[in-house]
Amino acid sequence: MISPTLQILIIEPSFLIREGLKTLLSQIGLAYRIEEFEFTVENIPKLIQKTNPKLVFLNPALLSDKEYFNRLEASLSEIIFIGLIPLEVPLNKQSQFDYLLNVFAPKAELIKSMESILSKSGILIPDNDSGTLSDRENDVLKLVALGLTNNEISEKLFISIHTVMTHRKNITRKLGIKTVSGLTVYAILNKLIKAEELKGTIDN
Amino acid sequence: MLIHKDMKMADVIHLNHHLLHVVNRFGIQLGFGEKTVESVCEQHEVSLAFFLEIVNTFHDSSYFPVDNMKEFKAGMLVEYLHRTHQYYMNFKIPEIEKHINDLCLDNSLEEEIKQLLSNFFQQYKFELTTHINKEEQRVYPYVLALENAIETGNNTDELIEKLKIFSIHDYEEDHDDVESKLFDLKNIIIKYIPTPKDSRILNVILHEIFELENDLNNHGHIEDQILVPIVEKMEKELTARIQKNVQE
Ligand SMILES: [Fe+2]
Ligand SMILES: [Fe+2]
Repeated sequence: MISPTLQILIIEPSFLIREGLKTLLSQIGLAYRIEEFEFTVENIPKLIQKTNPKLVFLNPALLSDKEYFNRLEASLSEIIFIGLIPLEVPLNKQSQFDYLLNVFAPKAELIKSMESILSKSGILIPDNDSGTLSDRENDVLKLVALGLTNNEISEKLFISIHTVMTHRKNITRKLGIKTVSGLTVYAILNKLIKAEELKGTIDN
Repeated sequence: MLIHKDMKMADVIHLNHHLLHVVNRFGIQLGFGEKTVESVCEQHEVSLAFFLEIVNTFHDSSYFPVDNMKEFKAGMLVEYLHRTHQYYMNFKIPEIEKHINDLCLDNSLEEEIKQLLSNFFQQYKFELTTHINKEEQRVYPYVLALENAIETGNNTDELIEKLKIFSIHDYEEDHDDVESKLFDLKNIIIKYIPTPKDSRILNVILHEIFELENDLNNHGHIEDQILVPIVEKMEKELTARIQKNVQE
C-alpha cells in the first residue's frame, strides 16, 4: 500500500525512457501523480516548489552545475532523488543522488531495484503491515465512526492530536476508506459499534 | 494512442468503448458507417478541435490539453458539462439505485447491511446533487453571462457587481471532490460486505461505481483544467474593459 497522493517528478529528455519509467511504476502498483519534464536543470527549484514531489527521477546528464545542485539538495532533504543512468556516470555526479537506477537493466532487475528503493525510502510499505488495524487504531476508528472530532478523541484517549491524526492516516491507508461516513459503515459492518450508538454519542 | 480527425469514428469506439457515452453527449449516436471523426463532427455541427480535446482527455488521463484550448467557446464547454451532469443524474445514479434496490430484495443479506449500503449511497447522491446544482445554478450562468458580455460588448451593471464579489478562482478553491465517498464505497463492497447468495448484483454495482468514478474524475479535470483558464481569461478581458470605460 502507498500513500494515495504520492507526487513524482520525472526529468528526463527521452520520451521512451519516461514512458518506460511510468509503466514500471504502475506495474509496482504505485498510485501516483506524475509531472514530466524534458529538460532544464535551471528550473528544478521552481519545478519542485510547484509540484512538491516526494520522489524525483533525474537524468544526471542534465546535471551541469554541481554546486547548484548541492545547494538545492541541502534545502530539500526530504525529497528523494533517483538518478537515471543510461551510461557511465562520473562518481561526483553519482554521489548527488540518493539512489541510482540503471535504465539498461533487464525487467526483473529493474522491478527489484525500484521496489527496494521505494521500500528503503518508506514509500512502499510491505503488505503485512497494511493488513489489520492495531488495537489503538481500532479505538480511534470507533470514536471517529461515532462522529467525535480529533480534539475529543485526543481528550478521551489521552493522546496528542498529532497522534490521533497519525492513527487516522494509517487507518485510511490500511482500509482504503477516506470519509467519516465510510468509516462508520466499516465500523458497523465489523461490529465495532452498533448502529443505535450513533445518535447518542453525537448528541453528547 | 491519440485520437485524431482522420480516424474512423467506429475505430474510436473499438479503441475505447467507454467513449460512447462521451460521444453521445455531443448528440452523436451509433451508426457511423465508414465516416471519419472529422466528417461525423461536421455532420453534427460539432467543433472538431473541441471534440478531439474532450475525447482525448477522457481516453488518456495523462493527455494534456493543447495550448489553444483557451480559444474554445465557453458556451460549448458549459453545454458539454451540463450534458454530463444530466447523464449522471438521469441515467447513472438511477441505474445504480435500481441495482441497490434489487440487492435489497435479496433475503440472504442481513437487513442492517442493506440499510447501511443504501443509506450510504443516498448520502452520496445528496452530495453529488448539491455539487451539481451549485454549478448549474451559480457557476455556469456566470460563465455564460461573461461570454455574452464579451461577445455583445455590453455588460450589465448586474454583471459588473458580480465580478466584484465573485471570481472563478473562488470556485476553483472550493471545488470539492465528489469522488471520495465513491472511493470508499468501492472498498466497502470489495472488502467488507458479506457475499449475498447471488453475488452478480454486487458485481454489477461495483462495475457501475468504477465507471461513474472514472467519468467524474474526467469531468472534474475538465472543469479545473479547461473551464477555469477560459473563464479567467474572460474575467481579465472584461475587467480591463470596465476599467477603461471608467477612465474615459
Ligand atoms: Fe460539474
Ligand atoms: Fe464539479
